[in-house]
Amino acid sequence: MTVPLGGALLAGAAVTALIIVLLVAVAAVHLVRSRRAERDELRKRRLMPLVHAVLDDDPVDSIPLPDVLAAPAELDAIVLDLLPQLRGSDRETLRGLLAERGVVARAVTDLTARRSWRRGRAVSLLGSAAGTHHVAAMAALLADRSLEVRCAAARALGKAGDPGAVGHLLHATAGERALPKGVVGMALLDLGTTVLPVLRDALTDEQGTARGLVAELLGVHGDPSAAPALEDLVRDAGEDLGVRRSAAVALGRIGSPTSTEPLVAALTNSTDPRLQRTAAEALGRIGDPTATVPLLAGLADDDIAVRAACADALAALGAEGRASLEEVADGPGAAAPVARAALDELDGPVRRPQQAGAA
Amino acid sequence: MSEVFTDIVLGASWTVLGYTLLMDTIMFTLVLLGARRVAEARHWKGAEGHGEIFASPLTPAVSLLIPAHDEEAGILDTLRAALGQRYPSLEVVLVDDGSTDRTFELVAERYRLTEINPRRTASLPVNGEILSVHRATTGDPLVVIRKSSVGQKSDALNAALNHARHPLVCMLDADSLLEEDALLRVARPFVEDPDNVIAAGGVIRAANGALTDRGTVVEPRLSRNWLVRIQAVEYLRSFLLGRTGWADANALLIISGAFGLFRRDLVVEIGGLDHRSLGEDADLVVSMLAHQQRAGAPHRVVFVPEPVCWTEVPETLRVLGRQRRRWSHGLAQLLWKHRRMIGNPRFGAVGTMALPFFLVFELLGPVVEIFGLASVALAAGLGILDLGIAAVMVGLALAVGTLLSTTAIAVEVLTYRRYRRGRDLLALVMAAVVENVGYRQVHAWFRLRGLMAALARRKPVWTAMPRVGFSGDPAPAERLVPLG
Repeated sequence: MTVPLGGALLAGAAVTALIIVLLVAVAAVHLVRSRRAERDELRKRRLMPLVHAVLDDDPVDSIPLPDVLAAPAELDAIVLDLLPQLRGSDRETLRGLLAERGVVARAVTDLTARRSWRRGRAVSLLGSAAGTHHVAAMAALLADRSLEVRCAAARALGKAGDPGAVGHLLHATAGERALPKGVVGMALLDLGTTVLPVLRDALTDEQGTARGLVAELLGVHGDPSAAPALEDLVRDAGEDLGVRRSAAVALGRIGSPTSTEPLVAALTNSTDPRLQRTAAEALGRIGDPTATVPLLAGLADDDIAVRAACADALAALGAEGRASLEEVADGPGAAAPVARAALDELDGPVRRPQQAGAA
Repeated sequence: MSEVFTDIVLGASWTVLGYTLLMDTIMFTLVLLGARRVAEARHWKGAEGHGEIFASPLTPAVSLLIPAHDEEAGILDTLRAALGQRYPSLEVVLVDDGSTDRTFELVAERYRLTEINPRRTASLPVNGEILSVHRATTGDPLVVIRKSSVGQKSDALNAALNHARHPLVCMLDADSLLEEDALLRVARPFVEDPDNVIAAGGVIRAANGALTDRGTVVEPRLSRNWLVRIQAVEYLRSFLLGRTGWADANALLIISGAFGLFRRDLVVEIGGLDHRSLGEDADLVVSMLAHQQRAGAPHRVVFVPEPVCWTEVPETLRVLGRQRRRWSHGLAQLLWKHRRMIGNPRFGAVGTMALPFFLVFELLGPVVEIFGLASVALAAGLGILDLGIAAVMVGLALAVGTLLSTTAIAVEVLTYRRYRRGRDLLALVMAAVVENVGYRQVHAWFRLRGLMAALARRKPVWTAMPRVGFSGDPAPAERLVPLG
């Protein structure tokens, strides 16, 4: 037998053996998992009354503490599933239960585990179950080598609800191990309105990415105190376009008529269609009729998306905007189709296209 | 002379065998990379924060774009699944691309469509004529565009893009069913990393044979049709492992046209989908990557290794042949169009790894495979083939091919376990073996013909495959019907 033939035979045998091992493993796992799923379901059904009893604060003699502490690990999974759905004393009761059963202590130990998913799951658990304890340890994981763990740490800090975490989270948007903006944004939103003063300060103090994010969040909160600073950002032609767009969106959400002037300026003077579109959308949200004339001018913009946004904004301005749109819609100009489409949105399709294939 | 000829024939046979083994080795490496990633992802199950993303005001709205040509068999199920997505803000833009069946009538009746003035948000070139635009009066966020067909799916998608309103666009085939939280899962990378992510896709599986109910896959089952079973294994291997592996290497080229999510502004910026391309999904991703790279802008293409979409696959060889010829033709167009990126380190792993792999093993693979079969047959005919050696080598190549598929099936069982019935798993394993004998060679022939069509610069035409649909009878008592 030649050497290549012998090698091929050997390799073929090895590959075939590997296939057989895989198949046996597949069959075994299929069998084991099917049985385990049934067993877990049964256990869950048995443990649920125990959880309900704990939540109902039944007399201690009906649910002896040792029983709760000695219950199988599935109880922790049930409690952790329930926790995000509960508030107030029920939530605190279950948090206490997890602490009593040593779940929180084990998670703290796992924060330094070698495997990233264990660190990630540990910090997630602490965010849900440990309240504002361990915030420093959780914040330390914002600089973890694994991106998934960093994201999990940010989410956990949001859930933990300690306003002191804002600084950690905002700083985590920059640097070598920067966190994605959206993850930080959701965590900051989770912290609620108590962090608004810190966010307002950050609007001027932080760097580009964080500033844009903060502008967006202040808009989501609809914080009127932030409007003047946001208006300055929209006006500032030297500012990053992304930040200006975020500020424009925020002003639309806040809805103060004082913001009409900088938004009209952005719509009229900017050369960036995305900023123009955002400004038009914000003007529509604010609904200030004094924006009618610039929005009408926007119907003739070169960019089709800007034209559509201006038409929608006019439709949102009430009677004055509607009258203007109707005038344009009945006219012969290039803006007429856009105006008709916006009116369709407003009242349903009462105006037929003037020509088939008008798209 | 005859000795030289013999040497050439034998040399060719060995070259082909070496090529096959090399390709299988690379595939196996990708499979292992993907398996590692999938296993890792499973550890995070439950901690991904899908609920938070659903509730977050930062989650961007999505326009679901569905091009449809003669899709009466399944269009209502597809729309039900699309409109029933658990997602905070979405619209569905359906393009009836010159259907000659009752596609439009069914949708018009079900959603009580009414004609509206078109509201365009982009000016991408559309070759077909826009006949009318409609919207649902049932309260569903559905817009339907009727246009004349020019035989290009990309044309239908560009028409949809011109009417899409939202910052993210999801392209969905009209023969596909989405899982309830498909959008949520695939949009997650955009929510978390809005500055960098430009495209994302998820795992697509064969729907034929599954139990469906009003647009929902109630229980994934395997069809009795062996052609479908083999494709089910192909999809498992390709989506569960192959693409996950490429994404892990930061070199993912293809987000499937059956279900993919993209940043709308960027798609519009590059001029929409290429009318001339038959592989418009891959072409879109590569064009976006090239555009961002040239602009020095950040870009990440993400693959979410979770089953999110179920699609109807061909049930006959004739339809399969047409589909695979089109894919091969599209790949050839893609590689020719982006030839300057091939091997170019400026484009990172996409330029140095993915594109060369697709050129050498995907596009030229069928040439080598058919040439190899021919050379083996010739050698046997000339009596110069050592049957013992040939049998061992062919056996080795088949074993490696089977190992690839078996690994994919094993990962499925160890992680997602969508196929619960033991007999389905057994059928999958058998299909993994059968695939290598006959199917693989016929498949190579289809792909070769696609390549030849591209070389002959034949005009690409999109013809939708005949559909069976997802539910045979809308009568409530008969809704749970297996297909295929």
